[in-house]
Amino acid sequence: MTGPQNVSAKGTGKIVLVGNPNVGKSVIFGQLTGRYVTVSNYPGTTVEVSRGEIKDRGRSLEVIDTPGVYSLLPMSEDERVTRDILMRERGARILQVCDAKNMRRSLMITIQLAEMSVPFILAVNMADEARNRGVMPKLEGLESRFGVPAVPTVAVRKKGVDRLLPLLENAVESSTRLDYGRSIEHGISRMESLLPDSTPIGKRALSIMLLCGDDSLAPWLAENVSGENIREMNAVRNRVVEENGEDISYRINQGRLAWIDALLSELGEEQSEPAGRNWADIFGKYSMDPLFGIPILLFVLFLAYEFVGVLGAGILVDFLEDGVFGKGIVPAVAWIVEKTIPWEIIKDMLVGPYGVVSMALSYAIAIVLPIVGTFFLGFGILEDSGYLPRLAVMVDRIFKKIGCNGKAVLPMILGLGCDTMATLTTRILETRKERLIVTLLLALGIPCSAQLGVILGMLSDIGFVATTAWMGIIIGVILLVGYLASKVIPGDSSDFILEIPPIRMPQMSNLVIKTMARIEWYLREAVPLFVIGTLILFVADRMGWLLWMQKVAEPIVVGALDLPPKTTEAFLIGFLRRDYGAAGLFDMARAGLLTNLQVVVSLVTITLFIPCLANILVIIKEQGGKVAAGMALFVFPFAVIVGAVVNFASRALGITF
Amino acid sequence: MTEYGQDEILELVWTLREEGNATRTQLLRRTEEDEPEKILEELSSAGLLEASADEVRLTRPGEERARVIIRRHRLAEVLLNNLFDLDNNQMESTACKFEHILTEAVTESVCTFLGHPPVCPHGRPIPREECCDKIRTEIKPLVTRLSDAVLSEEIRIVFITPKSRKRLEKLSALGIVPGSRIRLLQRNPSFVMEIGETTVAVDKEITDEIYVKRA
Repeated sequence: MTGPQNVSAKGTGKIVLVGNPNVGKSVIFGQLTGRYVTVSNYPGTTVEVSRGEIKDRGRSLEVIDTPGVYSLLPMSEDERVTRDILMRERGARILQVCDAKNMRRSLMITIQLAEMSVPFILAVNMADEARNRGVMPKLEGLESRFGVPAVPTVAVRKKGVDRLLPLLENAVESSTRLDYGRSIEHGISRMESLLPDSTPIGKRALSIMLLCGDDSLAPWLAENVSGENIREMNAVRNRVVEENGEDISYRINQGRLAWIDALLSELGEEQSEPAGRNWADIFGKYSMDPLFGIPILLFVLFLAYEFVGVLGAGILVDFLEDGVFGKGIVPAVAWIVEKTIPWEIIKDMLVGPYGVVSMALSYAIAIVLPIVGTFFLGFGILEDSGYLPRLAVMVDRIFKKIGCNGKAVLPMILGLGCDTMATLTTRILETRKERLIVTLLLALGIPCSAQLGVILGMLSDIGFVATTAWMGIIIGVILLVGYLASKVIPGDSSDFILEIPPIRMPQMSNLVIKTMARIEWYLREAVPLFVIGTLILFVADRMGWLLWMQKVAEPIVVGALDLPPKTTEAFLIGFLRRDYGAAGLFDMARAGLLTNLQVVVSLVTITLFIPCLANILVIIKEQGGKVAAGMALFVFPFAVIVGAVVNFASRALGITF
Repeated sequence: MTEYGQDEILELVWTLREEGNATRTQLLRRTEEDEPEKILEELSSAGLLEASADEVRLTRPGEERARVIIRRHRLAEVLLNNLFDLDNNQMESTACKFEHILTEAVTESVCTFLGHPPVCPHGRPIPREECCDKIRTEIKPLVTRLSDAVLSEEIRIVFITPKSRKRLEKLSALGIVPGSRIRLLQRNPSFVMEIGETTVAVDKEITDEIYVKRA
């Protein structure tokens, strides 16, 4: 067996949080570090590693939050990230967050941590839910079996979390080892003898990964193991495969589960009075029902529309744009500017038709902010309730047609919040084909919150038919392009195996913090771009380029789309951010410059329009420059073509909305 | 060996009857047994067969026994043909051995595994058994596909036959392995099952590969 020579028990001041998806790692991370990372009620919220710091008695500890895993034998990109952190952060202490309701699965990870010979402790989270259901295991036996502390916690209510830090300080390795049977054990000990003296994690764990044929270890092997030993390793593995068949990891998992089942029945459960089914369980069940699922979905959409479209885009925008900005800030700033600044050009730059205050700030703060704010709040409620994964169940069969599975609906819905973040979330999808398709559809057809809010605001002025038409066209385009992309892009789709979290009442505090964090992020990211865009327009107007561009774009904007030449401006700034472009259209519509049909045509075009700069940068980062360029080259003309088709078709059919 | 020979004769009578030619002459011409007359004698005295001048007829009990043998033989043919892609000769000779050794439980599992095929590779009907019935008055602990399991009843996974190893690994990481107790919650719009306190949604394709029995 591997001894502790690999990892020193005292180690460096690092703490790594690991655990199954959706068990509350990010909540605990937030409470340990005071740093907020997005917390939601569905698996796969954390796709990037977050790092934070704890000041503990004059010492500073680094805390690392990792994406949730079902196994430390990686099966997807995000699982690999977590395993690699455990390999890279030598000497770190591990806090495994468990779901008290699902100890069977949590302990699968615990066994692997023991095999990795890393010092760890267990936080048995959601102890309240487990007690309500009468399935809370007795933890004393668990502690003595693994030889590590196990603390019951209710992280969202901060219960038990303060006990973790002192225990982590003294965390030790667990000496628990399972017997996987003569043949596999023989393979493991042969493998162990072929590994170098010093390994980043326990040799037993590495040997098991190698026996299971984990190819993600290739880079490590190339650097640390001689070619001769690698050949020998293959011989060892082939021998084990001959004796046990190809499914070694399955056999090992089966062995682990059998061991866990025996352990859990030996531990027994705490005595508690299980609460009966409550409204949340019932809602959870019906929201996936073939009969009630659709009406519930429509009802949720309706509420979102009322909240964001009517309250946010209607009442709040009226108040801020006409009231606060129109009658207050803009005239006030104009007055001050008039009194203090002698130069006409600066005055114009601040409060003219393309002024920083009169256009950029009033678009960003008065039009987009209330819409984005209500959207983020509503979206946060949906995220935390656990409704979103149920949507995946509803749409799985449709998504099969576009080369993905139901899981792909999660990044798509997230795209309604922000396409840039959602593009990162495509990592929860298992194959490159799926990631490409979803990335393309996000870039093409999923309006982000800012844009969606503005669009809903405009459509709610025209009416229900136009809203439905716009939605139908966009969904139709997404399905069509998705279908074609699934035919063109080579590769496979993955299986639909998705864990459905329980429906929960969203926590007010998390909701508020999350919404504020997102609004802050919006202000930080969008406002500078709004200002830059406005300055570009200002300069272009001054130099007379704007008229020239309107002329150049005339065959498209006026000819194909039948829109007023001034819409060119909206599309122009749409290159910077689509929501900014949409805000320009919103302004024109409110000024009565667009007919209803023109509104629909321009909205369809701007929805499909080129993704914003940040999104393009993330596509480059995730998929490479070639893919990003290809997508941009496809999306831009395609948007105009669809707009033109809608325009001509409506005119030919006499539809005016 | 008498039982073996009897089985062969009964099987042949069934086949000849399907061809509309169940005569003693045909039987004696087609059989591969060494002493067919003697076996016919045995079968008659055991009350499994009635042989008049030239006609041979299965009695009720004979019919029952022949039916079981035919069923095993043809299921074995489907198994060997569809799954292992064996040529006709190998399929025949192996199926002939299978028909004598399959137990009732194994036959049922094979039938379920193959999705209760109605005909053999030669296009002849496979006698149906209880496990093939869709409409049942009482639910016996039969092996079925998870996709056909009774909703919200506790069931136990008997075996899994996944298309890919990755799928098997993923399922096992979620605790879905033979022996696990689960409940199927719904079939539409996707399959949703409950294992312990975990709810998992999966494709139909996957539930077709999981075989379960009433717990």
